[in-house]
Amino acid sequence: MTLPVKLSPIEHGFLRDLSASGSGWRAELREDLEARGLPHRRVEEWKWSDLKTALSRVESGQVPLTVSASREPDERRAPGDDDVMAGVMPRLAAALGGDASLYRLERQDDVLSLDIEANAGTGHTLIVVDVAPGISARLDERYAVTDASLANIAILVRLGSGARLERTIEQAGSDDGVLVVTSRIELGTEAGFKQTTLGFGARLARLETHVIHPGEGAKVSLAGSYLLSGKRHLDQTTLVHHTGPNGETRELFKGAAGDRARGVFQGKIAVDRAAQKTDAEMQHRGMLLSDGAEIDAKPELEIYADDVVCAHGNALGAIDDDALFYMRQRGMSETEARALLTESFLAEPLDAITDEVRRDDLLAKLRTALEALT
Amino acid sequence: MLKIKNLHARVEIEDAEDKPILKGVSLEVPLGEVHAVMGPNGSGKSTLSYVMTGREGYEVTDGSVEFNGEDLTTMEPEERAARGFFLSFQYPVEIPGVPTLTFLKEAANAQRKARGEEPISAPEFMKAARENAAKLGISNDMLKRPVNVGFSGGEKKRMEIFQALMLQPKFLILDETDSGLDIDALKVVAEGVNALRAPDRGMLVITHYQRLLDYLTPDKVHILSDGRIVKSGGPELAHELEREGYDKFTGEAA
Repeated sequence: MTLPVKLSPIEHGFLRDLSASGSGWRAELREDLEARGLPHRRVEEWKWSDLKTALSRVESGQVPLTVSASREPDERRAPGDDDVMAGVMPRLAAALGGDASLYRLERQDDVLSLDIEANAGTGHTLIVVDVAPGISARLDERYAVTDASLANIAILVRLGSGARLERTIEQAGSDDGVLVVTSRIELGTEAGFKQTTLGFGARLARLETHVIHPGEGAKVSLAGSYLLSGKRHLDQTTLVHHTGPNGETRELFKGAAGDRARGVFQGKIAVDRAAQKTDAEMQHRGMLLSDGAEIDAKPELEIYADDVVCAHGNALGAIDDDALFYMRQRGMSETEARALLTESFLAEPLDAITDEVRRDDLLAKLRTALEALT
Repeated sequence: MLKIKNLHARVEIEDAEDKPILKGVSLEVPLGEVHAVMGPNGSGKSTLSYVMTGREGYEVTDGSVEFNGEDLTTMEPEERAARGFFLSFQYPVEIPGVPTLTFLKEAANAQRKARGEEPISAPEFMKAARENAAKLGISNDMLKRPVNVGFSGGEKKRMEIFQALMLQPKFLILDETDSGLDIDALKVVAEGVNALRAPDRGMLVITHYQRLLDYLTPDKVHILSDGRIVKSGGPELAHELEREGYDKFTGEAA
């Protein structure tokens, strides 16, 4: 038996906002929150990202998020049972975010961009993106959470068979904001999903991505770069669940943490017994720029099929002193040399972005952040 | 003119006492001359090159390194580079993700900036890169690759000389540039080095063997043993060494 937790003002606030009459997932959410509160470091999936503590300075009380989208949603509707994913945070996003926004990407080369900002209180939203079968589309997201506030976003993306979606996520750096983005990607057969993130951390930022991978020729690529300074924290958690045969997954995450910042990478690839001939590879490489920084990584493979090729790698290092001296001997200042080495290290995951304008935009932001770091 | 005066230096070793390596090296290389420093393993040759270029972990305890009347001893590596010091590394470092030409252009402009000069223009830089690459048989493809990544030992040494040609230093230190080179590569590298000989440029060729010196013909040869110059002479000294071995000279140090 577990003892009831002591709820924080913010947790009390959420409970007040959740209507007592709800049933189904709403009732479960309420019970869950009452019994266990928000995720904290004693919850295995959140052991390196103590959300409850990070929210201690955020005022209770809802303030709607500022969502600027490149176009109006095709539909706004109360979240249905199919729109809601498991977990306290995405359920809170569905329960407290009002109507969900639904976007249908139905034209070839459709581009949807979402710019979400918060600067006070707590804000939630649920966004559903449906990509029609056979078309290629793009989804560009940008999150900026400033001051002591929480932005909690759930995104459900459904790709029809043969659809392609390239998703990019830019998480602007913040010292005080708290950001949780939970995404669930459901792929049809032969569909392709490519996601690239660039994150600079916040008081706590968690980008959690679940991919339901049907195999059957579908391809998934998850990539991300992060550069953290000050006391910022960024957690990238991914779960790719292969449910059918002949699926491919590639993951490449690289990050650097300086000062007293903390980077977290949790990557799990689960392969069902039915998912034979799965070809999956996951890499995380971290670079510590100072003694006070920390990077935690937990790559995991859970495989029930016997005819698969799955690999993962994780490495942590610091800037190579030999390379640093070599570059300084050629005339670069230590600062320039460090910045160039770090940039070349972090740029690799971003190189995969197909759209040149978006890629150059994110590379430029990375460079600016590196210059500011020194 | 390079003047090394009574240079004492020790290397910092983790979890152990610093080890004295250079124990009073004195040496002068006038501009326009090529001098060789020869010595057996452990005599302090590589330490000398690192101390001259300001590598961390090497501490000067006495004496000085002066170049054209300016004391470099306490300068940062990049400050020495801006004054024209160039080290051709014994083991050139691989830098993944940084294309060679990007690296060289940044380096050249960092040096220019430190000297208060205008940055080099892109066409001017590319023209020099094409010409210098042709001299050393370096392909376009090699220039596009990240610095030294995937290159053979010989290719890396050629790239070092290419970098020297691009940066046009005032003083070159070649640290065991002949090691790992077959005879053809050695000739190409030596030609590159000879192309860099100039009245306003000095060179110090650090080597264990005399074979590179056959192509470079130094003005003077110095023998380094146990952290001191034990003998200096003309080019014939290198041949004497080759014939009779180091023992004859290292004995004189005691």
